Amino acid sequence: MSHLLEVANLQISYGSRIVLRSATLSARSGEFLALVGVNGAGKSTLLDIIAGFLKPAAGSITIAGRDQRSWNLRELSQRVSHLPQAVHADLPYTAEQLVAMGRYPHTDRWFESDEDHSFIREAMERTHCWEYRHRNFRSLSGGERQRVLLAACLAQNASILLLDEPSTFLDIEQQLHCFTVLREEAKTGKLCIAVTHDLNVALTHCSRVLVLADGIVAHDLPAAKAQENDDWLRLFSSRLRIGSTSAGTPWIWYQ
Amino acid sequence: MTLYEHNTAAARRSLLLPACAFVASAILLPWVGAGPISVAKVLHRQSPDFEILIQLRVTRTLLALVAGGALSLAGALFQAMLRDALATPYTLGISAGASLGAVSVIAAGWQMLWGIPATWLGALAGAFGVVALVLGGFTGRRQISAFSLLLTGIAINSVCAALIIILGGFAGMSRTFSIARWLIGSVDSTSFTSLAVLSVVVLVLAALVISQARSWNLLAVGDQWAASRGVRVPALLRTGYLSGSILVAGAIALTGPIGFVGLIVPHLVRSRISPDHRVLLPSVFLFGGALLAVCDALGRIVLPPAEIPAGAVLALIGGPYLVWAIRQRRPSEEM
Repeated sequence: MSHLLEVANLQISYGSRIVLRSATLSARSGEFLALVGVNGAGKSTLLDIIAGFLKPAAGSITIAGRDQRSWNLRELSQRVSHLPQAVHADLPYTAEQLVAMGRYPHTDRWFESDEDHSFIREAMERTHCWEYRHRNFRSLSGGERQRVLLAACLAQNASILLLDEPSTFLDIEQQLHCFTVLREEAKTGKLCIAVTHDLNVALTHCSRVLVLADGIVAHDLPAAKAQENDDWLRLFSSRLRIGSTSAGTPWIWYQ
Repeated sequence: MTLYEHNTAAARRSLLLPACAFVASAILLPWVGAGPISVAKVLHRQSPDFEILIQLRVTRTLLALVAGGALSLAGALFQAMLRDALATPYTLGISAGASLGAVSVIAAGWQMLWGIPATWLGALAGAFGVVALVLGGFTGRRQISAFSLLLTGIAINSVCAALIIILGGFAGMSRTFSIARWLIGSVDSTSFTSLAVLSVVVLVLAALVISQARSWNLLAVGDQWAASRGVRVPALLRTGYLSGSILVAGAIALTGPIGFVGLIVPHLVRSRISPDHRVLLPSVFLFGGALLAVCDALGRIVLPPAEIPAGAVLALIGGPYLVWAIRQRRPSEEM
């Protein structure tokens, strides 16, 4: 099966600070990738470049066999959806109105069609936010907001989901639920790439773990075999240790 | 009924009240004023009732409807672009620039330039000067930061206010009075030609702005939020700033800087009808026009034969309302 996403030798700097030196990765549909790294490693920047928000100084991105720049913005947004770390919606949209915005790339109609509404409802039910669909987004807690934003991404029905810390503000139960939803989404043939700082959630839900360090993808590990070589853990902290649960799943703890 | 049909019908129902307010204002308010007007005399085209109604009251009511609509629409537009419910054309300094331009020509004593009212040209030049200054400073950058724009607007407001004070000081007594009255903002009778030009410009731009309502919805959440859903953000922002600036400059060239309408009407419509720009923008235009026309009519009848400028009436009504509305907000809705 050919790659849905291919990123080759991306370079970008903010002023004199080189953020990505030569980032390279490729992924197929059906995969769920965790993008991990220390603060400032360039994880969000990498997602922003793939989503088309930032233009790299060098390198290439291929999406579904075509150069990213050859897709127009609407075509790109039908294929790639992006969940930002946070939005600052000051205007009083309801939760449902925000999720409905995910359907924007798919229609020119003034109002959402019945088909759009079925996508909206399904996405909100999957992320457990349908019951407060009429509530003002500003009145929601951080966790409730995050579920609404995730629903908006799902309603977009793109083949690539880029998620910048999707479990921020969520309690443990909801974090697990969020990653379970994304894993299910990947099983339907989507490619999910999630930035996260929770290594155990990444190891237990994702198919691969990409470790970003020194401006490159320093490690690209199948999650199930992450404990075979713990070099990548040293990039985070010397206090981290990795082993296996009784079920054989890699598990990290600190000393 | 499908959900699509249900939503369309709901939007039509939402627009019914603002549309009725707009039409009722256009029909009824010209009859309101210091002196009564005889319907019989108007129907028989008898002086002076016919002239008072058609040449004075109808023109100023229509001007209030168009200018109020333009200023309210521009307010809602800037609030979406800057993601700030308190943003107005004042915030960016566009109103201040237009005022400086108009005050400059009043101070210079120019009435007409090339057959066009000089305050029009002054206000347009001032507004575009500010837009060029604000947006020109961001040329070459991929994105225009709302925060940077707001800070630039504060600086421009301060500079324009200082220059207006200086011009007023050198303008002489009678022109200083004209400047002071113009700065309060009022709706005076105007020629049908001026009204027609303003109406065409405002209606074309209003149609352009409202046609992009879905994109403003997305932009009001965030630049990246909009871009990742297929909106060409830099192009949309350019369209918004240019359209908003022309709407503001065109309106206040004839009325003076009436600012409150651009703040209070979007706030009212957003909280009482819908924050969705597909409904919000047309409602804001219709309600804004109706509100300014009502304020102008009130100004005509409160202290006859003296007239209170519409801008002053609006500030007296709008200020307390806004304070009340802000106090009604729950802590979770605070910015």
